[in-house]
Amino acid sequence: MRRPWIRGVLAASVAGLGIGLAQQQVTLNVIGFKVPPNEAGTPLDKAYQEFIRQFEAANPGVKVNALETPPDFDTYILTALASGTAPDVWSQDGSSLAKVAGSGQLLDMERCRQAVPSFNFSRFFPNVLALHQGLEKGKTYGVPNDFTPMVMYYNPEAFKKANVPIPNKENLTWDEFLNLTRRLTLDKNGKNALDPAFDRNNIEQYGFRVRKFPFEWVYWLWSNGGDVISPDGKTASGYLDSPASLEAITFLRDLMLRYYVSPTPSALDALQANVGFLDLFLQGKVAIFPRGHWELVGLRSNKNYQPARVAVMGNPYKTRPVTVMYESGFVIPANISPEKLTATCKFIEAATGPSYQNTKVLTGIAISGNQSVAANAISKAPQPAVERAFFNQVRYARAPYGARYAAYPAVETVLESMMERILAGGEVKAEVAKAVQEINRELSRGR
Amino acid sequence: MFAAAKTGWRAFWGRWNQREGYVFVLPSLLHLLVFFLIPLGFSLWLSFHDWRGLTTRNIPFVGLENYQFMFGDTRWWNAVWNTLVYTFVSVPLGMVLSLLVAIVMNQKIPGIYAFRAMFFLPVITSWVAVSVVWLWILDGRLGLLNYALSLVGIDGPDWLSDPRTALLALILITVWKGLGFQMVIWLAGLQAIPKELYEAAIVDGANRVQQFRFVTLPMLAPTTFFMLITGVIGSFQVFTPVFVLTKGGPLGSTDVAVYRIYERAFVNFDFGYASALAWVLFVFIFVATLIQLYYMRRNLGGMYGR
Repeated sequence: MRRPWIRGVLAASVAGLGIGLAQQQVTLNVIGFKVPPNEAGTPLDKAYQEFIRQFEAANPGVKVNALETPPDFDTYILTALASGTAPDVWSQDGSSLAKVAGSGQLLDMERCRQAVPSFNFSRFFPNVLALHQGLEKGKTYGVPNDFTPMVMYYNPEAFKKANVPIPNKENLTWDEFLNLTRRLTLDKNGKNALDPAFDRNNIEQYGFRVRKFPFEWVYWLWSNGGDVISPDGKTASGYLDSPASLEAITFLRDLMLRYYVSPTPSALDALQANVGFLDLFLQGKVAIFPRGHWELVGLRSNKNYQPARVAVMGNPYKTRPVTVMYESGFVIPANISPEKLTATCKFIEAATGPSYQNTKVLTGIAISGNQSVAANAISKAPQPAVERAFFNQVRYARAPYGARYAAYPAVETVLESMMERILAGGEVKAEVAKAVQEINRELSRGR
Repeated sequence: MFAAAKTGWRAFWGRWNQREGYVFVLPSLLHLLVFFLIPLGFSLWLSFHDWRGLTTRNIPFVGLENYQFMFGDTRWWNAVWNTLVYTFVSVPLGMVLSLLVAIVMNQKIPGIYAFRAMFFLPVITSWVAVSVVWLWILDGRLGLLNYALSLVGIDGPDWLSDPRTALLALILITVWKGLGFQMVIWLAGLQAIPKELYEAAIVDGANRVQQFRFVTLPMLAPTTFFMLITGVIGSFQVFTPVFVLTKGGPLGSTDVAVYRIYERAFVNFDFGYASALAWVLFVFIFVATLIQLYYMRRNLGGMYGR
């Protein structure tokens, strides 16, 4: 019992050391870095595991708990955020960013920059990063993980069949596109849609595919200087019903109902009665269709796939080339604990660097949000020309409405119904006027 | 006073049988409370709030705004109209067809149990499997139905893609799927009719049609009432076939009330407004049921112990 204070100091030191060690050990729960069980052992699985191993080795005391992406992720993340059980990092779809970030559920990434000064945002494509900065001035809700601009896929063999040369421009004007698709549309006698003897009741090859879904056509409005809703998100009046927007919608309708270069919805259903759309495209039944990078995965796994049947060009334009980007960005919940903040930011810094971003070449779903990784991926891609065509369209890519307006899901439903009615023969002006009224009602609810 | 309260308390807890009874029903009560009453109250509370599902704090109270918004919501009223059409066609059609089938299945014929099982099979088949089959049957170009029609010179439409026929097609599919269940209920009703009544009718000279009109139908009144009430309630709540087969299209022709509520809640994440719509639908169903009760009691009062 001599010198009891020494024992006390020793005990306190040991306890303090224990507390210190406990504080150092941080476990990050992350979603999106784990493959489903049926993909265990694949190159992607190994790449994810190697990335996590490297990160843990470089950051002693940080353990990464990689969770599989749950089904119906949107609903899952809403529930998790509401109940305060959200993971520490996940990749949030940019199309629903406004809905999630608008309610104060996401961390401003400027705090990450402060916590980890080496985290340099210049690695990202500026316009893709801007998607995360459009909600509130000076705030950055998330950083880009991967993305795709919407482009036009075309089948060169369909061009060959129609005796039409491949355009030597990345983006055609509307007039050039109309002329091209009319020449690509062939009837059973091989006559194209420009031929006076063209039989529109017996079309064997369509030049293009127009559908009702807004994600496939909103950028047509932009390419003519039109828009759907005002920049402040308060009205569609003067935007969706502006002459520029009406002209774009009419142009799309005419492609189907006046020039017959696109199958009608029922004709498309009939064509797809026994096969999927990608089969039709690869068989040359539809020469061009709009889609993002993710479609390459489906195309390359299709039994009719041959590299010579898939190529990509930019979207047609009237006043300026433009497209929409569909993006997914890393985000952190606003209620992240202080002891986890630095580790989480370091994790995102690593995940937006080459070691993780190089996995985008393996998945083929999207383009890396990291500029240099995306540029380097061109030569590594299965079809460098296709990858380059995507890359070249990035500069024209604009954020989707869902990244800016929380009310957009309801607006999108209205737009889809409007286009469905127009493509069924509805009068453009009247249908647009109805949609404007409906959208204004939705926007007036002030989310 | 204290003593009286104590005595009352003792009297309450002192009855062991009663106490045990409460213990036995407790699991069910808890289940009812957690999975029914609390969500029900929460949904009513939500209908007066603007809840986007993202946070459980600071949910804005909007009073009657959600209900006011409903009045100008053309898509909702289109869905309500479609639901009414669906109900007014599918309920009587289903009841009549299933009654006819039940009458046939009530005969003493060889293999009757196998036939009954065949009619009941669609009831236990999943909607997804049923949908795949019906999508093929109703396909405009390759469908079995249009092939059959073409044999008699009729050029059938693309049933589920044509806004003029999509709802009708949906009604036919749901009537077909529910036929077996309704048949079983009718069978139970038919078999409960005393044979003596038919014998008396025969003695009075009634033919088969008159027996049906004056014996079978009146005696089936309680069953009819049950079928009508449950049929109308079920039809107002139709969702699965719409979700699986048409997603409310084409051109909103099969958009129904519950599908609209679902889309508002789980596509647009507009839970407050969706809850308001759900409560309005509840009022519609409640009023429809009251009207039926009133009508039934007025016309068949004796049978319902008025």
